[in-house]
Amino acid sequence: MQTYKAPLRDMRFVLHELHDSRRIMALPGGDELSPELMDSVLEEAAKISEQVLLPLNASGDEEGCHYENGVVRTPKGFKAAYDLFREGGWTSLACDPAYGGQGLPEILNKLVEEMSCATNLAFGLYPGLTHGAYLALRDHGSEELKARFLPKMVDGTWSGTMCLTEAHCGTDLGQLRTRAVPQPDGSYRLSGAKIFISAGEHDLTENIVHLVLARLPDAPAGVKGISLFLVPKFLPTAEGAPGARNGVLCTAIEHKMGIRASATCQLTFEDATGWLVGEPNKGLAAMFTMMNSERLSVGIQGLGIAEAAYQSAVAYAKERLQGRSLAGAKRPDLAADPIIVHPDIRRTLLTIRAYAEGCRALAGWVAQALDLMERENDPDARAAADDFTALMTPVVKALFTDLGFETASLGMQVYGGHGYIRDHGVEQFVRDARIAMIYEGTNGIQALDLVGRKLPAHAGRSLRRFFHPVAAFIEAKKDDAAIGPLVQALAKGFGALQLATAHIAECGQRDPEEAGAAATEYLRLFGLVALGFMWARSAEVAAAKLPAANGDAGFYRTKLATARFYMERILPGAFALLPAIKSGKAAMMALGEADF
Amino acid sequence: MQQIRKVAVIGAGVMGAGIAAQVANAGVPVLLLDIVAAGSNDRNAIAAGAVARMAKTEPAPLMSAAAAKLITPGNTEDDLGKLADCDWIVEAVVERLDVKQTLYRRIDAVRRPGSAVSSNTSTIPLATLVEGMPEGFRRDFLITHFFNPPRYMRLLEIVAGVDSDPATVAAVSRFGDVVLGKSLVNCKDSPGFIANRLGVYWMQLGVVEAVDAGLTVEEADAVMGRPFGIPRTAIFGLIDLVGLDLMPHVNASLARALPPSDPFHAANRELPLLGRMIAEGYTGRKGKGGFYRLERGEGGRRKLAMDLATGEYRPERAANLPELAAAGSDLRKILGAPGRVGRYAWRVIGQTLAYAAALVPEATDDIVGIDEAMRLGYNWKWGPFELIDRLGADWLIDRLGADGIAIPKLLAQAKGRSFYRSERGRLQFLGTDGAYHDIVRPDGVLLLEDVKRQSKPLLKNASAALWDIGDGVVCFEFTSKMNALDADIIALLSKTLALVREDYKALVIYNEGANFSVGANLGIALFAANIAAWSEVEKAISAGQQTYLALKYAPFPVVSAPAGMALGGGCEILLHSTAVQAHAETYAGLVECGVGLLPGWGGCKEMLLRWQTEGKLPRGPMPAAARAFELISTAQVSKSAAEAREMLILRPSDGITMNRARLLADAKARALALLDSGTRPLPPEIIAAGPAGKAALVMAAEGFHRLGKATDHDLVVAAALAEVLSGGDADPTMPVGEQAILDLERRNFIRLLQSEKTLARIEHTLETGKPLRN
Repeated sequence: MQTYKAPLRDMRFVLHELHDSRRIMALPGGDELSPELMDSVLEEAAKISEQVLLPLNASGDEEGCHYENGVVRTPKGFKAAYDLFREGGWTSLACDPAYGGQGLPEILNKLVEEMSCATNLAFGLYPGLTHGAYLALRDHGSEELKARFLPKMVDGTWSGTMCLTEAHCGTDLGQLRTRAVPQPDGSYRLSGAKIFISAGEHDLTENIVHLVLARLPDAPAGVKGISLFLVPKFLPTAEGAPGARNGVLCTAIEHKMGIRASATCQLTFEDATGWLVGEPNKGLAAMFTMMNSERLSVGIQGLGIAEAAYQSAVAYAKERLQGRSLAGAKRPDLAADPIIVHPDIRRTLLTIRAYAEGCRALAGWVAQALDLMERENDPDARAAADDFTALMTPVVKALFTDLGFETASLGMQVYGGHGYIRDHGVEQFVRDARIAMIYEGTNGIQALDLVGRKLPAHAGRSLRRFFHPVAAFIEAKKDDAAIGPLVQALAKGFGALQLATAHIAECGQRDPEEAGAAATEYLRLFGLVALGFMWARSAEVAAAKLPAANGDAGFYRTKLATARFYMERILPGAFALLPAIKSGKAAMMALGEADF
Repeated sequence: MQQIRKVAVIGAGVMGAGIAAQVANAGVPVLLLDIVAAGSNDRNAIAAGAVARMAKTEPAPLMSAAAAKLITPGNTEDDLGKLADCDWIVEAVVERLDVKQTLYRRIDAVRRPGSAVSSNTSTIPLATLVEGMPEGFRRDFLITHFFNPPRYMRLLEIVAGVDSDPATVAAVSRFGDVVLGKSLVNCKDSPGFIANRLGVYWMQLGVVEAVDAGLTVEEADAVMGRPFGIPRTAIFGLIDLVGLDLMPHVNASLARALPPSDPFHAANRELPLLGRMIAEGYTGRKGKGGFYRLERGEGGRRKLAMDLATGEYRPERAANLPELAAAGSDLRKILGAPGRVGRYAWRVIGQTLAYAAALVPEATDDIVGIDEAMRLGYNWKWGPFELIDRLGADWLIDRLGADGIAIPKLLAQAKGRSFYRSERGRLQFLGTDGAYHDIVRPDGVLLLEDVKRQSKPLLKNASAALWDIGDGVVCFEFTSKMNALDADIIALLSKTLALVREDYKALVIYNEGANFSVGANLGIALFAANIAAWSEVEKAISAGQQTYLALKYAPFPVVSAPAGMALGGGCEILLHSTAVQAHAETYAGLVECGVGLLPGWGGCKEMLLRWQTEGKLPRGPMPAAARAFELISTAQVSKSAAEAREMLILRPSDGITMNRARLLADAKARALALLDSGTRPLPPEIIAAGPAGKAALVMAAEGFHRLGKATDHDLVVAAALAEVLSGGDADPTMPVGEQAILDLERRNFIRLLQSEKTLARIEHTLETGKPLRN
């Protein structure tokens, strides 16, 4: 069974104890925040996720979306759920109050996102895409465009999309062909075809705001000739209501492996009216300013799936009776022991748990930096937070989504054959999780971004934002009575990461292919060390709180035990990546094309 | 004639004064005469004013304040008699034959027979200058054509007349070479000699072809500059520099002198725009601006460029030429690119190269002089014949033929061959006789370039190499980018010390890059700091300290021979050498504080010791510490070797070589001379000022901080430096060893490297080349 209770205790741990929510409260605009307010937001989000979204997850997957004559219908119950979601204010949580948003911090928003991803990934894409479009428009749109569109997107009555991909170009957007022709009134007419457009057409909202990448007539070739346009499904009337139908049509929806309740559309633009967002030919840059937040959100999808897979697997492992404990029967009163008595089942469950909680902690750190980047007064502090998020974005996106898929698969393993059939719903996690490794930039591209852009930029300046805190922590805590051994394990992994980083910097400068060859393993090493740091920090907090914990003692003890599991059973796998990274490109470049 | 011990320069314009300054830079007294200033109490006002102006000019014509004192200003009415004491008289007056000849007669009346007389003319043939002059004058006369500015431009064109006494020419040449440090090119008495003949033709083509092709000035300069190894100023930027008003004069004089068959006439088209700009005062950088100008308005400064089509200024636009990017360093691709860029490049370069080939033997005997003239007179990276070799003579012949351009005889001879070749390790050039000849270096010139052609390195890694330069002396060469110091260099230096101890007599540290060394590789240090690789950084500093110490106490002479910049770690090498033989143009300094660090390879310690032992300062630990503190905390860099000596980076006993090409031979000779003199120093005992001294140094820095002359972080850096130079918690009554100061250097270096503001400084300097004052 798909089982889910929002992990509120751990979320509060991440929000208040590990990353100290007072830091966010101290930022400009944070005076109305309080721990109680944030906790109650989490509790309410838990309710709608558990009670409204979760029950629609399997049914939405089973039914899928319907396409007929350009019209897309979402599965049964989705519209009603979306209305509840919208009325509950969940679309406006982290948005700017100037446009009707609630101005809550991003770190809180990401925790809420985790819950919707865990309970209904396909559903979460609709408001998720709107939020991405909101960010791009907020940062680059003219005041007039913002006034016309943002309030509706913030309150969720209109949704948003991001139209990048075309049939012949996905990763390499420099090739895109959709054209935009300027009109005398300052608007543009767009023509072209886009594919893989999530939420491109649906029945949840009264209007859809497409953000479209296209070329101006005199644009230079390649990525420097791409501009960003806003193209609504219905042109707003003077009163702001949906007016005339615009020339954007959904010609088909895709049949997919997973996230089947999400409408993945082919869109055709035929002289569709649109408006320029930002400067001509700077569209890709405009699109990329919200990429940090969006890619973090995709990472959160992996985390959400991991949590759902964990809870579903735990429930099954406690009730499924098979065989006896190797140490002798634990439940002689039953026909067999529950399988959770077996070390390997425990290893499986703890692996998922250690990943999920580690990822949650890391997501919290990065999301907090997004808040600092937006709200800090000190420009140096903003720049530092910007560097940190830029560095961690590819790590989070690729690592979390890789782990989302791996953990979904591990969860299925606990079910045995019963996981592979549809009845329990855990094979859906595997299918749903798979797409997150692909969209918003494949994980291979994330790894290249990390080694090719983020690592060498400014002689490694972004790296400083991660390496310095980790090094300082290790230096301070390596002999700590409570967590010393955990910190020493982290230090080993960190040393491997330093060596790998220096190696890639050195050889990548000479030969970019060398960096490319090491990229994926390097990102994994980086990510595992980052999780290791989060676990060591979590253990530090837990160890400090345990003596006076009373009712929470179990939580902290579990934290410490899971931290130990991570350091002893998972992190050593990271060291093994170092020789692979250092082996260079020779083995993979040896074959000629024909030899494959 | 005798040796040249005293010189006179007549004409105190920019060239005359500059030549006088370079004579003084070489330590030779010089008389600088001009006409009597009208309406001034001081009859020497013109010459004296020129000397005073030079003290403020940047880049400085004078290498030191002491050099200025060697120039005696005077006037041609009262002081002409003093020419009798001068061994060489240089005429650098206005380019008018009547003025020059009148002056020559007056000079001839007072000068000592046998003294050399030369003209710095750039346009008047020697035969014309001496026409009607007495035979004795003609015998002692030659042309010495310097380039502006004389201190920095290494070319000296020498033209001897049919009557010139070879001994006189040889004496002046030797003086120009060894004493003034110039590279000599012997020219025939043909119009414009070499560099200007070819350079003016190229510039004129560059202008008219740009107009014809419809290129903007930015585009023309982008095409004609970097891709061909020519300075960024290329055509229009260079004309702005030399002065637009000069162009018509130079062109007219060349046009008058050249036969009608010369291709120059076809290129010498009058451009109405140029005339208008000159008339309106847009004569270039010295005027209101030229093809480029800086406009200062309320909105700040705006860079403008002249639109060649409309004749109006418009905002400067960086050239965006995909042809150049696509061609990369492939010159044939640029010259063959379709469209106006390729056409422009080909029209200018193709005709210039053909013209160059036609100048041999008319203007000089061989191609070597032409290449040298363009490299040193116009700062081209490659001379025309080197460019032809890069293109391929056959390729050029075919293209010229296709365009119907006549193939000069010399170029035709090169068909199927190259102009230069390396034969059994010797560089050879193609002569007019169709045979290859060795390039012979003058006596006293030893080039590593030649050594490298003839031998294999004794040791080598990615950043350095070691070469045997004969007589038991080896030469350690940096080969890294900008000769930045890194772990490879330190490692090879360490190996070198072991090797020399076993098998050789002496070590010279020298290279033929533009700069001796820009200091430690900051990029590597910054990256290591960014990934918190503190133990690696510590190891790198220790390795450097130990290697530099080993250098200092080597049981054989170590002579460093810097030229250009010797900064940071590069300067620290000088401080640890047995002796230094520096090129006159050596810019040395401990600049680490500029990027928020401090010298960590023994530089603090050595500067402290220098000022303690050679500073002629009052007794006690403080005066030396204060001087070292001042020099290091302000990141002072010498503007010449002479200034480096004042800063005690060079000791009084260290040598200075004026001619870059003679530096290695001089350094080697010095190393051999040191063999018998027991060079190994004794480990010093350092009297450190201790905490009280530190407090005094910090107080001085705080004074600057209060005046707004130092930032908060400057103060942090200064405090760290003060701690090192005062020996930490040393007791002033107890001498400390070198290692104590080295440990302080290392600890404080790492502490500074861990600070955000230092890292921001390093990053800024790496990315912009400029200091960050945070």
